[in-house]
Amino acid sequence: MASTPIAQPFDFASEQIHTKQRGLWSQAFQRLVRNRLAVVAGILLIGITVVAILGTSWSVVQRHDPNQQLYVTASNEDNTNAGPTSDHWLGTDNLGRDMWARMAQGTLFSLKVGFGAEFIVVCIGLAMGMTAALGGRLTDGIITWVTDLTYAFPDLLFIILVRQAIFGRAWPIIGSGDPQIPGLPAILLVTILAISFVSWVTICRLVRGQMLSIKNQDYVTAARCVGASEFRVVRVHMLPNTLSTVIVAITFGIPTRIFAEAALAFIGLGVPPPNASLGSLISDGQALLQSNNLLVIWPAIMVAALMLCFTFLGDGLRDALDPRTRK
Amino acid sequence: MLAYAIRRIILMVPLLFAIATITFFLMHTVQGGPFDSDKPLSEATKINLDKRYGLDKSLPEQYISYIGNLLKADLGISFSNDRPVRDIIGDRFPISLQLGIFTFLFAIIFGLILGIFSSLNQNGLGDYVGVFVATSGAALPSFVLAPILAIIFAVRLHWFNVIGWELWDYKTMVLPVVSFGFLNMAFVARISRASMLDVLRQDYIRTARAKGVKEFTVIMRHAVKNAIIPVLTISGPIFANLVVGSFIIERAFSIPGLGRTFVESVLNRDYGVIMGVTIFYGTIIVGMNLIVDLLYGIADPRIRY
Repeated sequence: MASTPIAQPFDFASEQIHTKQRGLWSQAFQRLVRNRLAVVAGILLIGITVVAILGTSWSVVQRHDPNQQLYVTASNEDNTNAGPTSDHWLGTDNLGRDMWARMAQGTLFSLKVGFGAEFIVVCIGLAMGMTAALGGRLTDGIITWVTDLTYAFPDLLFIILVRQAIFGRAWPIIGSGDPQIPGLPAILLVTILAISFVSWVTICRLVRGQMLSIKNQDYVTAARCVGASEFRVVRVHMLPNTLSTVIVAITFGIPTRIFAEAALAFIGLGVPPPNASLGSLISDGQALLQSNNLLVIWPAIMVAALMLCFTFLGDGLRDALDPRTRK
Repeated sequence: MLAYAIRRIILMVPLLFAIATITFFLMHTVQGGPFDSDKPLSEATKINLDKRYGLDKSLPEQYISYIGNLLKADLGISFSNDRPVRDIIGDRFPISLQLGIFTFLFAIIFGLILGIFSSLNQNGLGDYVGVFVATSGAALPSFVLAPILAIIFAVRLHWFNVIGWELWDYKTMVLPVVSFGFLNMAFVARISRASMLDVLRQDYIRTARAKGVKEFTVIMRHAVKNAIIPVLTISGPIFANLVVGSFIIERAFSIPGLGRTFVESVLNRDYGVIMGVTIFYGTIIVGMNLIVDLLYGIADPRIRY
């Protein structure tokens, strides 16, 4: 090994490369990517979503009409309650409908409810939480009381009540959710609205608490001292520091909304037949447990997979976004 | 402490009043009335029915008379079978309560055992099994687990029944309790494992070991006793949730509890039952929150009111 000169001028230029500054989000992303379980969960979620979208819109993937009842095959054999075949990948149900196509339809509906409801939940929750934290004492008192009140309701029962109250009347823009009047978007919106109307309080509390704790931190006071406007303090300091908590809450929120929709569907308040959601598929399958248990196994696996993926992704995101848990 | 308790109880009143008000108006916005059916009733019958149940009066009048009755602890009568709502709740709620209590015990006991067992074998095989169960539990809500368990243990193995609920008859009790409680059991297991791992690293555990205290005593007296506090905190909401949230499992196993009654009443627009059950459940939740807050002060002497 060649001897190296002992006295060498310190190379600032190369040192700069090592200490290259990385933003909060790129650091968090790199930490997330290093979490193998979270990455697998994320990829699986994207895969399920893509297959569900293609499986409802592209006939090559969809293969069969999810609502077409085919009691007998071309060769005149019984096609109801059939097991998986090369034609019907997941078998058929008691009415001879293709389970693969129905599963795609149901999964997509549940995902739409999950993402849609969570989107509204976050919008209301962020707005209310920020108002509570930044507004005056009276505003804070009122919003806190409303969240306490919503917490005092049994949440699924409240969702049922709200759902029934907004269902079946002709709303401007979103129309009616009545099965008599065709159109899936209306029932989708009714479900999403009922769930989000009840569920925003969790995010609201989270945002309020986080903002209140940030409000009096030294760096926020410092920003105020150097003359930053209130708007700038909120936009540059308070919002980004609240956002990481919110993102984690979203990942855990989406499966909760899917769960709520499935619970609604399970007791018969979900999508009207022949349309399917994961909850209604389980509910229908439950009735036919003795004759064809595959009908309940497929949607059950799908619900479990979705829940598991969101849990792992949420855990990964929490570890990635919260520097305090960094190892 | 007493002053705090009294203040909290007084604060419950406006909360319950608001619940009653919101439910009343929400319920009356539901399309259709309680006597709508496939066979239209004659005009005279309808007028008489409306009169009988006070539906002919204006909404504010109905509201005032309802709240007035509520103050006399009268929850009104069911519109579909004329029974007092109080009797219906008295009939159906014990079943939901039994289901809730057994599920609660299942979730807490097995969750604690699993969590403590995992923490004592940290990173060992037992820990992996425990963590696997706790994680998979998060992905198995009751309506997913119920049919799967029913297929395996009732349809295939014939160990248990698929429907019904009979107190102390294990054949009817095991499946509802396990499928209803699994999610919460997993939650308890995760929490107790984390808090045990935290406690086991504390100095006083090392001190106890250094003194030569038997390992069993260290775990039971020093570690578990402290690690159980977070589990106590969540046990209140879990209990309230299990008691008021059983309608899914009641439907899945055809258990005639209050949850199923509520769902039926919403579908039939049975105003009396909807109101009664919501207020009843709201009182349970608000009351449970109060009890937990008070118990917390007793369990953790550092908390002062």
